[in-house]
Amino acid sequence: MATYAEMQQIFDDIRGDFRYDHELNGCLNCGICTATCPSAQFYDYSPREIVQLLWTENVEQIYDAMQEKIWACAQCMTCAARCPFKNSPGGLVAIMREVAIKHEMQSAKDVLRPFGRVMLKLITTGNQLSPDMIQPDHFPDWGPNIQKVEGDLRILRKAIPVKTLQTVETAWEVSLKTSVEMYTIWEMTGVLKSLELMDENLFDVIEDFIDEKREDYEDWLEEQEEEDDE
Amino acid sequence: MSEQTPGNHNQNGEGAGAGTMKPGYHNTDGQGIAGHGSFFQSTDLSKEDAVKATDWVRKHVDRRTIDLGDRMDDVREHMYELEKDGQIIIHRIEDQHEPISVNTLFGWEKKVPTKQLWHHKSCGQCGNIPGYPTSLLWFMNKFGFEPGKDYLDETDQTSCTAWNYHGSGIGNVESLAAVFLRNFHQSYVSGKQHGHELGHFFPLVHCGTSFGNYKEIRKYLVESAELREKVTKILGKLGRLVDGKLVIPEEIIHYSEWVHVMRNRIASELQTIDVSNIRTTAHVACHYYKMVHEDAVYDPSVLGGNRTAIITSTAQALGAQVIDYSTWYDCCGFGFRHIISEREFTRSFTMDRKIRVAREEANADVMLANDTGCVTTMDKNQWIGKAHNQNFQIPIMAEVQFAALACGADPFKIVQLQWHASPCEDLVEKMGMSWSEAKKTFQEYLKEVEAGNIEYLYNPELAYGGKV
Repeated sequence: MATYAEMQQIFDDIRGDFRYDHELNGCLNCGICTATCPSAQFYDYSPREIVQLLWTENVEQIYDAMQEKIWACAQCMTCAARCPFKNSPGGLVAIMREVAIKHEMQSAKDVLRPFGRVMLKLITTGNQLSPDMIQPDHFPDWGPNIQKVEGDLRILRKAIPVKTLQTVETAWEVSLKTSVEMYTIWEMTGVLKSLELMDENLFDVIEDFIDEKREDYEDWLEEQEEEDDE
Repeated sequence: MSEQTPGNHNQNGEGAGAGTMKPGYHNTDGQGIAGHGSFFQSTDLSKEDAVKATDWVRKHVDRRTIDLGDRMDDVREHMYELEKDGQIIIHRIEDQHEPISVNTLFGWEKKVPTKQLWHHKSCGQCGNIPGYPTSLLWFMNKFGFEPGKDYLDETDQTSCTAWNYHGSGIGNVESLAAVFLRNFHQSYVSGKQHGHELGHFFPLVHCGTSFGNYKEIRKYLVESAELREKVTKILGKLGRLVDGKLVIPEEIIHYSEWVHVMRNRIASELQTIDVSNIRTTAHVACHYYKMVHEDAVYDPSVLGGNRTAIITSTAQALGAQVIDYSTWYDCCGFGFRHIISEREFTRSFTMDRKIRVAREEANADVMLANDTGCVTTMDKNQWIGKAHNQNFQIPIMAEVQFAALACGADPFKIVQLQWHASPCEDLVEKMGMSWSEAKKTFQEYLKEVEAGNIEYLYNPELAYGGKV
């Protein structure tokens, strides 16, 4: 359990995000956000409650809501489209999630652990999901008819008449140079740091992968120079 | 100062004065009769005059145009100012892009380029529903577009990374902005290696979440000098500035907007199959019209202009039946993180709030969507419904896939329906095509693929910067 000072700091970090004043403009408690919220139908979650807690600066209950509730939001932004005050409860939740990660909240670590596979794919390849991840053994609840033609995945992907899509481990082929540029973005914007706070093992795997790709890129550049010299 | 009572509290208001307002009338500008409550008085207009007056009001007062002054800013105006100040370069939509103008929510004009497009792919579509991009490229070829000149699909792009951000909270505005600017800088310069000028190819965003995310990020970039300063350092390090400036596109364009503006050409020039017997329902992606909603396309001739025209306009142009259902506005249940690690929410929501309703209320032959997550969610989560006696299904696909089918595209080679789990074969059969024959032909083609005889929509070398 955090001290009051820590909870106050968490709230100050939320309030300090430059988007905060965009996303929170007032609240009449009308509840239209909750009425249209998909997550409110299945979870103990109400976007109206999130807005009210922030609006009334209730730092203790904000901290409580950050344990589980904020992770229920589906980020569809229906609440934002509906709010007569032009609030964005979904946008506020996004800020709160970032702050939960910054403060290394255990609840965030627990929630994100099963999402690690996607983060690994995204951070290393710039693609979120790949064909080899969407297979029956990963998604048994999608049923036996997950695909209508059986066969080798590589051949099925090669039957897509677009060159960039004939891939298995990424959704499309991303050039090495592009990937290396993206790694620089991750480093310079603190994304890798966030990842380290959440899952040190995953971070180590990703860091090794990035080092390897950078070496590959350096080798490629050298080859290009040699070819140019010839 | 007179006493403020319901009957006279505005008699000293600006514009009010002797001869312009009778005591007892609530009026702030001294004209006409208005108000509700005890002071209300009937106008005693004749029926004809009442109709005339009401028509006048309808003509002049559109609820989407009122009260915008303080509440809604057009970000593009601020972009033009920043460009004038020499702070950014705007990637313009020019005549060479052959734009078609449409109206957005508040009646603002949005130019949709129809040619010289840089395909900004979607990781969910490419990974899971490849019939999206293939159908789109197929249409461009059908219109005689020349790959490498009229469109470009290349490897130098990442996803927007917003799926991860919305799912996990890992990432931040700065990283999203840097990714946005990096990708769109590449779009701006991509024509050079094919012998064209800067700005030749304009980005066409395939993914709904990318579309919503990029528009939000563009707003933040335009509003925040601090954010611009931070990302300028990053883009500088990447060599992704032009004359030391950030490049921001004039419009963010979603592929379904291209389909929308091309719908009548698709129907009149390319359609070969009558779809008037097909009952369609629409599910428009939340991130298409609920994020930066002022930029979504609306058309008075589609759904009364009360809902975004996207998808429905295409179904109408093709002559299909458009059937409404009560949960039209609902999200699909994707949830970004939920579809991966809290699937019980995703599948329950999509079955209860979308599939069941579209089946029971609309008896739909197909649900048409315009985004990655929506098609995946609604398509893949129907089978598990049987566990709860939800023994109903609906074919799910993008409107561009449905349009391609209506124009005679191969259900497998082009529309790539083999990747869908929902009963798309039922729709194909109802459209008059033989699913089993098409499947047999495709299975024969797979043998050719295995032997290295692959058919392409464009010369593969173009993907790597090769010359035309």
